[in-house]
Amino acid sequence: MKIKQACYLLLAVTLMIVTAEYYQSKPRPTALNGFSAPFVYGQFTTPQNNPLTNEAVALGRRLFYDPLLSGNNKLACSHCHQQKLAFTDGMKNSMGVSLKPLSFNTPSLVNLMWGPQHFFWDGRVNSLEEQALLPIINVDEMDQNLDELIDELKAVEQYQRLFSKAYGAINKQNIAKALSAFQRTLISANSKYDQFLAGTIKLTDEEEFGRKLFVAHPDVKASLRGGNCIDCHSQFLTSGFNTKYDGFTNNGLDNEEQLLPGLQAVTGKPEHKGLFKVPSLRNIALTAPYMHDGRFNTLAQVMDHYNEGIKLSSTLSPLIVEANNIVNGNKKKPSLNLSMEEKKAIVAFLHTLTDEQFIINTKFSDPFLQEIKIE
Amino acid sequence: MNNRIRLSLSFLLILVIIGICGLSWYKANSPRQLTINFSAVVGQQPLVYNQINYPNPGGPGLFKIRDFQFYISNIRLLSEQGDYIATNSYHLARFDNEKTIYTIQFNNIPNRSYRAIEFAIGVDEKANGTIISQGDLDPNNRMAWSWDVGYKFILFEGGLQHGDTLYPLVYHVGFNENYRKLSYPVQGELQASVDFKVDIMKLFNGQANLNMAELSSIKFDRNDTRFLADNYEKMIIAVKQQPAK
Repeated sequence: MKIKQACYLLLAVTLMIVTAEYYQSKPRPTALNGFSAPFVYGQFTTPQNNPLTNEAVALGRRLFYDPLLSGNNKLACSHCHQQKLAFTDGMKNSMGVSLKPLSFNTPSLVNLMWGPQHFFWDGRVNSLEEQALLPIINVDEMDQNLDELIDELKAVEQYQRLFSKAYGAINKQNIAKALSAFQRTLISANSKYDQFLAGTIKLTDEEEFGRKLFVAHPDVKASLRGGNCIDCHSQFLTSGFNTKYDGFTNNGLDNEEQLLPGLQAVTGKPEHKGLFKVPSLRNIALTAPYMHDGRFNTLAQVMDHYNEGIKLSSTLSPLIVEANNIVNGNKKKPSLNLSMEEKKAIVAFLHTLTDEQFIINTKFSDPFLQEIKIE
Repeated sequence: MNNRIRLSLSFLLILVIIGICGLSWYKANSPRQLTINFSAVVGQQPLVYNQINYPNPGGPGLFKIRDFQFYISNIRLLSEQGDYIATNSYHLARFDNEKTIYTIQFNNIPNRSYRAIEFAIGVDEKANGTIISQGDLDPNNRMAWSWDVGYKFILFEGGLQHGDTLYPLVYHVGFNENYRKLSYPVQGELQASVDFKVDIMKLFNGQANLNMAELSSIKFDRNDTRFLADNYEKMIIAVKQQPAK
């Protein structure tokens, strides 16, 4: 009898030790609390090997705001992606540690699980995970050696803890995964437009006039006036379309001689020359300057471009050339031929896409500042 | 002893018979697969995107196709033993792949004797009036207009080269009245794979052939869109089945 009892005891102890070992060695991340996605944005997927968890998002957020990620330990991702500007920087050209103005404008980080799943202006990577490390190692942006970064992170006790809870090891893949997980939570869906869609508020007459123009492709024959925005910017997301490269377009910024490679650099196809990613217009009033190279300072200038500044080239979208609000428009000089009042109304509608909560949501803000406050 | 052997043999025989019956029953009743292929051509020519090499159907110049896609929906197989009705059956057919083929695959078709395949071009009124994502319907995709207009059923974009001018070509057709149901009889037994040809040129060939230089865009004019719908109703042609080997 005694032997039997001893055996049971031994078994129980072994089981406890094994369980404890198991729990210690394998991270047990928990599904993200309070996560919801707006119905009108439709379905989305997260990578199977990188689900949204509290631990991954907390780690990603800390990394996003940590200047340790740059070579000189001075610039974090949030240097160019500032929450108060809907994760842009207000500059014409992005500028990193080299202080060289780069050839592109910092894109906003918003609703990244929808719209084109090709990232950077030319769509050269196909996931956020692939994207995440590239600005870190780019010599002009954050200029960081990844092995050094891993050593630096390993030296911080808090990162040891956060990584082991979220993923396990501190390595390149897990840094990329954590940054991606955090960025996927940056959902903006509480603008005036969203409240209008939910039926809780009304738009002003001018905003509603602008909304109608926004969603209409003009058709003179059917007496329909339109701003033609929706041909590239989907109705709810206001981003480019998600399938294949449908979310990339040549919007007439440059003539044939000045046309940059754009998407052609990725696909090698001549029909993709000068095509760039169509950005989300969410919070667009906060993300000036505009276009992939930041060439326009104001939304009024953007409207003028689409209305009367289109430059012809071989890959220019036929939807842009064809869209006209007057009969027998000049095909060699495409113009929407909107009135001043109509242009103003569209800009008024664009202002309804600003989400005041998104830019102050503490879930997205700098965790280091919050720590200081608590101390 | 003798009796025992006889008993065992009879038992075995019964088992074998049950097995054979069961297997043939299973074969007759187990679900089967069906592949439907839509292969795009432009008249007598293969579909090559972004190449100016197709004649304007009703006028001068040559045209190119930048994009061509349309909704195939509500696929059903008709049978005296009960129709097979596909669920969430909204398929956005696109042909921008190496073989310019769009394929729909079904894995659980009841094994019945089918006499016809039916489907429609476009989106039925009910689905066209909601923003619920089902099948390939997505209110944020390229086929969606605004929610109060519904979906484009068919999208054709390209350009017409005439003289030194490249005219933009934009043909977008939607509206409930342009939803077109199609029916194709099944010759003999339904094969595992059914092939259709989609002749894009037929979109512009109707009572009159469309002159792209005159009418380079069709979107919301009801008469023009009906003209294209009457044409696309005839653009999908069943390819004669090869007899089963």
